[in-house]
Amino acid sequence: MQHRLSPDDAAFQQKMREFFTSKVPQDLRDRWAAGGEPDPDDIRTAQRILNAEGLAVPHWPVEYGGSDWSMLQRHIYLQEMQAASVPPPLAFNANMVGPVIAAFGSTEQKDRFLPPTANLDIWWCQGFSEPDAGSDLASLRTTAVRDGDEWVVNGQKTWTTLGQHADWIFALVRTDPDAPKKQMGISFLLIEMSTPGVDIRPIQLIDGGHEVNEVFFDNVRVPADQLVGEVNKGWDYAKFLLGNERVGVAPVGSIKRKLAEAKEHAGSVQTDTGTLLDDPLLAARIAELEAQVMALELTVLRVAANSREGKPDPASSTLKLRGSQLQQDVLELIVDIAGPAGLAWGDDSWTGLAAPTYLNFRKASIYGGSNEVQRQVISSGILGLKG
Amino acid sequence: MDFSIDSEQKALRDAVRELAARRAPQHGEGDVPVGPAPHDPDTWSALAEVGALGLPFAEDAGGLGASAVEVSLVATELGHAGVQTAYADALVAGSVLAAASSDLLSSLVDGSALVVPALAEPGRGWSLASSSVHASGSGDSWTLTGSKGPVPYADAATHLVVPAAADGGLALFLVEAPSFADGIATFDGSAATQLVGPADGATALAAAVNLGIIAVCSEALGAMDAASTMTFDYLKTRKQFGVPLMTFQTLTQRAADMYVSLELARSTTLFAAMAIADDPGDSATASRAKVVVGQSGRHIGQEAIQLHGGIGMTAEYAVGHFTTRLTAIERTYGDTRQHLASLASSLSDHDQVDVLA
Ligand SMILES: Cc1cc2nc3c(=O)[nH]c(=O)nc-3n(C[C@H](O)[C@H](O)[C@H](O)COP(=O)(O)OP(=O)(O)OC[C@H]3O[C@@H](n4cnc5c(N)ncnc54)[C@H](O)[C@@H]3O)c2cc1C
Repeated sequence: MQHRLSPDDAAFQQKMREFFTSKVPQDLRDRWAAGGEPDPDDIRTAQRILNAEGLAVPHWPVEYGGSDWSMLQRHIYLQEMQAASVPPPLAFNANMVGPVIAAFGSTEQKDRFLPPTANLDIWWCQGFSEPDAGSDLASLRTTAVRDGDEWVVNGQKTWTTLGQHADWIFALVRTDPDAPKKQMGISFLLIEMSTPGVDIRPIQLIDGGHEVNEVFFDNVRVPADQLVGEVNKGWDYAKFLLGNERVGVAPVGSIKRKLAEAKEHAGSVQTDTGTLLDDPLLAARIAELEAQVMALELTVLRVAANSREGKPDPASSTLKLRGSQLQQDVLELIVDIAGPAGLAWGDDSWTGLAAPTYLNFRKASIYGGSNEVQRQVISSGILGLKG
Repeated sequence: MDFSIDSEQKALRDAVRELAARRAPQHGEGDVPVGPAPHDPDTWSALAEVGALGLPFAEDAGGLGASAVEVSLVATELGHAGVQTAYADALVAGSVLAAASSDLLSSLVDGSALVVPALAEPGRGWSLASSSVHASGSGDSWTLTGSKGPVPYADAATHLVVPAAADGGLALFLVEAPSFADGIATFDGSAATQLVGPADGATALAAAVNLGIIAVCSEALGAMDAASTMTFDYLKTRKQFGVPLMTFQTLTQRAADMYVSLELARSTTLFAAMAIADDPGDSATASRAKVVVGQSGRHIGQEAIQLHGGIGMTAEYAVGHFTTRLTAIERTYGDTRQHLASLASSLSDHDQVDVLA
């Protein structure tokens, strides 16, 4: 065991830090750090700067822009990116559809889709959930029926994050309604949003923002070569997609940056006896969170070191569960620090964003596999407790 | 101790329940307003008409001679229906006006004046002990310097009640037709009328805020009740994996925990209303109630969203709005941390908490 970074890894860390803080414009990073509704152009700009340096999709195969990094290096990369408030490469591209195409797509699909996906020339959105298929994703009903060289798609997706900016959607569709198990009749389809019959409508969330959408498919004709892998094997690819991201599932760097900001804010609020940072109750909460975040980061590092390439590690559920909780705890702390100032919400100051951001991030324990589902995975998958 | 309500109280509750149902926000098509609601003059005059605005003030001062218990019944109904108003703020201001025997109280009670307290200060945590706004002058001629904010319902307020540091302590002032920028009132030698002098200012303010605490705790109680009921119903109807969500024990046990939080908050709020009706200066009870309700509100609000899944995050659906309101209420008239801190500083005042004393 060894608890410091090796000289090589320390040099790697330094290199990342320098790149993120000098090559990505400060004003863009400031906007990202402030929070609120993300600017799609900032996300594009940042990803292209990273991609030009080979830093957008390090976990992809090397020939499609990946790097031969260790898991520790990938963690350092993410950590430094988050610490510098660089918008991360769009998750739908970098972490979801990209790795699926790279692992299961045809050579043609790889050549066609991976370069523009890495460079965010294609903006992808994720069409998995449906009104009656949330936690129970395999109940999805959107159908694709083969007609000559095309699939004809009908149905509805929901909760499609940032779909309003998307050029393409990767969707799970039912291709065999008679399959013996509902997981067995599902395929993974790539659909251009501009195809006739695709209709998108915004859903407004409780912070007032419009980050999610409903997407409707009405006799949408999709070229057959846009089906990834084999017909009716989509569930396997979806499981790969949902489980393959071991590093990065817990946004440790962002949590640490927010916690540091929280301390700064607490120090700026005057009380009768000093500042909020001197208040023993608040100070104890911050200290507790710092210890908890440390435990999370160490677990991320330990899981990263132990993980076997290619096989989803059930420990990623631990990271998702705890990561979302701590992310929510820190945003809760910030709204508490804002105190009465947080009652006037909605402007771009930290106090004005505190309450809407806190409310918005209640989503973190719902999406990407809710915390109840993560506990289920831990209890049945790791502990062998099968009810 | 008796938690039941008499027939007059029941009539008041039913009238407000009916009013609140009519004034409840409709979450239909298109963009739904989120966050703090603006002042709605129609709701306000409806409240004035049923006598809600004058309830806790003595009859000879223009009030209705009822108490914090009646205030609690009204606010609970508003909270249950999701109707946001300046109710608590007007009662805090009215309580100060009553202590000062101000003529303005009758205009507050009939709804023609909207008087709100300006208590929070930019860049400062909540405090009822000190103020960075300074008052100078004497007799009928006073001026204020400094700023207060955010002020609730700043756009609609006709008058502010402003605590300010004067020679000898905290005094309470009335400012007419205040002007605001971004909800912050800045006084630059602005003219003000003294309502309560430094000898009694802190006591009068504490009593007024205690009444406000009863009002917001009760509103929170209504909101928690509504959010919980919606959640329990949802667990019965929403199906995943071919069965209703209530089939999953982990969810039903958490629903039970929500119910426990709700009932403890209910007992505490009702008790605190009775205690403040008897002794408006009982800040320890008000603080305990604020702590219990703050923690319950956080628990119930967060769980209500979580157990609804994605739908709980949407503006179209009421659960998130209840949680938004509970979040705001926890920061109104001192947050959980501040009330805990003040309770912690007076632990040696008592051996045990005695509710039957
Ligand atoms: C802001 C946001 C963004 C999203 N973005 C996307 C996106 O881009 N693409 C996409 O496809 N989807 C997206 N989702 C959808 C998300 O994955 C679903 O909301 C999630 O899977 C939960 O499904 P549901 O909302 O239908 O809740 P439900 O499945 O109805 O769950 C309701 C509650 O019951 C619990 N529950 C359900 N089943 C069980 C069980 N068996 N045991 C114990 N508890 C259970 C849940 O944990 C939850 O608390 C997004 C959601 C949100 C809120």
